[in-house]
Amino acid sequence: MKEKALQVLLVEDNAGDVRLLREMFSKEKADSFELTHFLRMSEAVIHLAKGGVDLILLDMGLPDGHGLDTVRRAHAAAPGVPLIVLTGLDDELLAAEAMKEGAQDYLIKGQIENRALPRALRHAIERHRMQTKADLILTHQMQFKDEFLSHVSHELRSPLTAIYQFVTILLDKLAGELNTEQHEYLQIVLTNVKQLQSMIDDLLEVTRVQTGKLVIDLQCTSVYDAIVYAVNTLQGAATAKGINLSSDLEFRLPLVTADPTRLRQILIILIDNAIKFTPANGVVKVESRVFDEDSNLIILEVSDSGCGISPDMTERIFERLFQASDPDLAGRKGLGLGLFICKELVTRQGGQIWAKSAPGEGAVLSLTLPIFSLSNLIAPLLKDEAWPSDSVALMSVEISSPYGWPSKERREEWSRESRTLVQTCLLPDLDILLPKMDSEGTREVFFIVAFANDKGAAILAKRIREQFGHLEHLKHEGLNVSVTYKFLSPTPGDVVAPSKDTAGKMAARIDELIALESLERVVTS
Amino acid sequence: MSKKKILIIEDDPHVRLGYHVRLKANNYDTFFAADALTSMTEALKHQPDLIILDLGLPAGDGFVVMERLKANTYVATIPIIVVSGRDPSANRQRALRAGAKAFLQKPVDNDELLAAIRQCLDETNGLRQPELIPQA
Repeated sequence: MKEKALQVLLVEDNAGDVRLLREMFSKEKADSFELTHFLRMSEAVIHLAKGGVDLILLDMGLPDGHGLDTVRRAHAAAPGVPLIVLTGLDDELLAAEAMKEGAQDYLIKGQIENRALPRALRHAIERHRMQTKADLILTHQMQFKDEFLSHVSHELRSPLTAIYQFVTILLDKLAGELNTEQHEYLQIVLTNVKQLQSMIDDLLEVTRVQTGKLVIDLQCTSVYDAIVYAVNTLQGAATAKGINLSSDLEFRLPLVTADPTRLRQILIILIDNAIKFTPANGVVKVESRVFDEDSNLIILEVSDSGCGISPDMTERIFERLFQASDPDLAGRKGLGLGLFICKELVTRQGGQIWAKSAPGEGAVLSLTLPIFSLSNLIAPLLKDEAWPSDSVALMSVEISSPYGWPSKERREEWSRESRTLVQTCLLPDLDILLPKMDSEGTREVFFIVAFANDKGAAILAKRIREQFGHLEHLKHEGLNVSVTYKFLSPTPGDVVAPSKDTAGKMAARIDELIALESLERVVTS
Repeated sequence: MSKKKILIIEDDPHVRLGYHVRLKANNYDTFFAADALTSMTEALKHQPDLIILDLGLPAGDGFVVMERLKANTYVATIPIIVVSGRDPSANRQRALRAGAKAFLQKPVDNDELLAAIRQCLDETNGLRQPELIPQA
């Protein structure tokens, strides 16, 4: 069978090199390669867009492109086409970088042997084909695994529901009286149902982590509330095991930027683990304070008087599927996913988590979270730490439901959706959407700090109103959206000179305005 | 006050019975439908005060049922609580947008379910307190 000629695209501006390469190709069998040549990247990109190219030979120093940039452009124009870079003798390092960017190989000009060229081309094509195939198989496998896990965990829920329903029906004596022994045994069933349920939840959560579907909604969050909630939730489990679970919190803990639901989830996993690994009459304690090594962070610690972790294991416990090997605890194993999930959740919220322990002396699991700071949020937008020459607006987007929200869930849903919508209207280097502060009364309020003058602010406000105007179900549910703004008025002292404290001063003004705003809202409602 | 009527739309017979026993013990009357087709006729026939709806159903899923219910004047205002084993991250928003009052994941805690039911019924009874107006 006659093979189709390989279409090779040569992008090279040096006439001598072109001649040399043409010479080499001419020695090949007449119909095995077909060479197309361009001098410039811009022409090559147009040609690539038409398709049909089997391989790109790319010089890294073109009149309209240089170095790795040319590789990226070629890749962007034809992502599926293998690429070999041509480089000078002194540029081997650069060529190696190009391979990291996805080039299959590099050839050093002046050192290309006649027979080596076609071989290199065929190798590159073959290697690329195999790589593509392997990637595809891997993607399929991952997809299948995720779908499988997701499917299985959902299918398990129905039978589990029936078990839960009837165990609780018996326990609540809806089907007649129970003797002590029966009651005790049913409690055991219930405990295991709950454990099974949390395993299924963990499975799903891990699938979400790995498919990037884990949603984290960063807000201005109270660590104090989260700890109180988690401790209350697990107090029963601790008491049942004769463990003293307590918390020791600084009176005025600063707020953090975190997802409140996720924070509670993290704490519950950590405290639950601590209880699990602590024998009867032990102690589990939750503490939190400003981190003494970095005052931008808050530290949370869950300590226990349990069996401890051997030093070589303190990092491994955060690995997926890690399980304690202690035989005493074998009966109470989970899936070994809890701490893995914790680590993912903490990292995604900008914190760190680690463990310290000596065997037999209990363990301390610590995590950090960024303290909520307006000035840190604003700082990246400031040029040279100077108060911007244009004015700065504080815009508030307020969604209200005059007839009351259909449900708490629906309201949260709206809040999330609105944030996403507002976010799409913003310019990344000029506007910031502040994390959710308090949602109060009948309204959801979002604040935006916009580096904009009168006109800019008006345009942004209009854009946001229009975006909300497109939402059908907004009208359907009778919600009102209002967008208003005020300008930050710096006191004369603020503007004088650039200083490290500009962001701080600006944050203080914003704080004042927000406070004023909520005061006005209370008065007018 | 007469007993409140709850229509349970759920295809698993054991789960259905489980709801029935629990709800009866809490002084509710229960009716059942096991698929999307009978859901509509049962809703029209019994005019329940509330519907508990599963999402995975034969002959059209829970979303289809919700769409039909919401399109019929005689049953459109009946509050719906979705209780499903499906992934909330993919289905909660969709369910709430389709008109459900709440989305609960299976297995749902008894107290949580009963609280959601009470809340829905209170709201439709007009017993819900108006938002507090601060005194000037």
